[in-house]
Amino acid sequence: MFFDAAFWLPLAIMAPLTTALLLFLLPRRSGLLTVIGAAATIATVFLATLLVIQNGAARHTLGGWGAPLGIDLTADGLTVLMLALTAIVGAAITLYAHGYFTHPVHDATARTRYANFWPLWFFLWAALNALFLSGDVFNLYVTLELVSFAAVALTALAGKPAVLAAAMRYLLVGLLGSLFYLMGVVFLYGGFGVLDIAALGAVVTATPALAAAAALITVGLAMKTALFPLHFWLPPAHANATAPVSALLSALVIKGSFYILLRVWLGVLYPLGETIAPYLLMALGAAALLWGSLQAIRQTRLKLLVAYSTVAQIGYLFLLMPLLLAERNNLVALAGVVCFMLAHATAKASAFLSAGAIQLATGDDRLASLRGLMQIMPAPVAAFAMAGVSLVALPPSGGFVAKWFMLDATLASGYWVVALVIVAGGLMAAVYIMRVLAPLFRQVETVEARRVEHVPLSMNLSAFGLAVLAILLSFTGVYVLEILAIGAPWVTEAGL
Amino acid sequence: MRDLRVLEHHHDDDTAMTPPRLIILALSVLMVVGLALAALSFPAGDARLATLAMAALPQSGVLNPVTAVLLNYRGYDTLLEVAVLLLAILGIWAVAPQARIWIRRPDTPVLAAFVQLLLPLMVVVAGYLLWLGADEPGGAFQGGAVLGALGVLWVAAAVWLSNARRGNLLRPLLGIGLAAFITAAVALLLARGSLLEYPSGQAKTIILIIEGAALFSIGATLTLLFVGGFPRRSDAP
Repeated sequence: MFFDAAFWLPLAIMAPLTTALLLFLLPRRSGLLTVIGAAATIATVFLATLLVIQNGAARHTLGGWGAPLGIDLTADGLTVLMLALTAIVGAAITLYAHGYFTHPVHDATARTRYANFWPLWFFLWAALNALFLSGDVFNLYVTLELVSFAAVALTALAGKPAVLAAAMRYLLVGLLGSLFYLMGVVFLYGGFGVLDIAALGAVVTATPALAAAAALITVGLAMKTALFPLHFWLPPAHANATAPVSALLSALVIKGSFYILLRVWLGVLYPLGETIAPYLLMALGAAALLWGSLQAIRQTRLKLLVAYSTVAQIGYLFLLMPLLLAERNNLVALAGVVCFMLAHATAKASAFLSAGAIQLATGDDRLASLRGLMQIMPAPVAAFAMAGVSLVALPPSGGFVAKWFMLDATLASGYWVVALVIVAGGLMAAVYIMRVLAPLFRQVETVEARRVEHVPLSMNLSAFGLAVLAILLSFTGVYVLEILAIGAPWVTEAGL
Repeated sequence: MRDLRVLEHHHDDDTAMTPPRLIILALSVLMVVGLALAALSFPAGDARLATLAMAALPQSGVLNPVTAVLLNYRGYDTLLEVAVLLLAILGIWAVAPQARIWIRRPDTPVLAAFVQLLLPLMVVVAGYLLWLGADEPGGAFQGGAVLGALGVLWVAAAVWLSNARRGNLLRPLLGIGLAAFITAAVALLLARGSLLEYPSGQAKTIILIIEGAALFSIGATLTLLFVGGFPRRSDAP
């Protein structure tokens, strides 16, 4: 039993969920509980990942019923990569949050409010793991709701009036997106009578019901993923939240809804793969990349710049949709998208964490007041610079490998326009990253006149660690390809 | 006053049928018609899952198919839904950590006396709805709604807060539903190898225990949603 990956799948959800519950029940013990809870979650994820890589894709029949009557948890290569990503980025943010939320610059009222961060974050962790493991389109809706509610509450933690307005909008958009998705699920169930992804994949045909489901699900999830032009809610929410929350939202939460979109298209909606839909998503992705980059270049505040950079980088996730859907089995294209998710999650989390450290220390995040900070606080500045290297996709970095795969896939299939967009996106990223790095690295004479707050080691360590990881991902491309081939998420010929 | 006038002004704008709004209206109508047409194409006959659910009912431990789906076939969904309730409370506390409860003596003793009379009755009704859920429409959510209504009355009559000696009972009350669910789920995983897999013959007992715990949490959650914020005693408005 213990050497079967299927045994560990539900535990990867129950470990953070139990921790969240205990943190809710015993708020005074949060220090100890978060350490134990994070360790337990990471251990279960690690075991599940290892066993899936060793023995192949796994399936856990919840309640012993089995699909289609019951719900199944499923884990293939894509699942375990996302689980592992969440565990690693989550662990770093947990460490950072310990330093951030207890920092003396926050007053007592703020710290009372921040105490809610811990149960909320572990609920979010449980919800994300449940989302990645779910093999059932209705259960995915439940996990999507859990993720949304936790994310909105985490956003509101910052407490400023601006953030409350942003959180409210985030909540409404999130609810609308979830309801669109749910209505799509209704059409899937009405048309095909089952909810399990694999069972649906075996019976779907290109009917009006499938088309309606595809339209509803795609719009709902595009809204939650903040795909241009449905991105309007993202910059205020991500920029006004507290730094650890901004990192969680940009690195992980966005990936959750995109993951569902990817799964459902590859596993269920694939008969529509040769329609206009994937090309439409590709076009919106390109528009997101160009529009988001232009907006990022125009910003004068660091966190807003990083948030618009997320709007831009979401575009990359959608650029390869025609390759993934029209010609199924394109492992290189999938590897490009997944490597991009890994690279973006680590680099963007690091960028938000180091921006948060700078803002905490200086009380300011205007680009103009970043001058000379390299001399005063080298750790977060160096972390931001390395994260920037990955966001621009210079070699060696995770971003570079992702774009290498993407360019390889697009050029092999003759989508050279997409290849041009990918290159243009990198150049524009270089412009907005340089707008941050130039003042940071400028030599300033009157440096000792500037008083900054102390930044605890835990914050520097996690921001820097994630940046190093964003660079080291450069060497993992081959392994990502191998892991993705484990029970690859598309419906194989045998299933048709 | 000025703010109100601004709102009114906006309100006037809101009723105007401008060209962009006409386009949105037309697109919405088009979408509804399209979806309706797609829904008409659904295959006729019983849904496959409904047939399966009825066929497995004898093994589910309960006679009410809705309870079988909620607590047995798809019990995991319900476990996550119970977690959503807790998240809702945390969400409110994240926005408004301090309670905004006005505690004042009721003007007349009638309300308080009435609520105290109603209290045992509503608890019995909630318990009955829970028990009923196994065989007929009812269950933890229905019973919890009754408890929630009781809680709201209680708070409105200021009975609860003037009697609440220890506010730290609140967190256990809110969490016990999820705690029971997780405990059952993990214990059954260790015993039977699959999460929430009930041993045959004992399904009904375990379902009732989980639902009984969830009943209290649902009732407490609904009351707290009404209160908004972590309740703290204060003697003003």
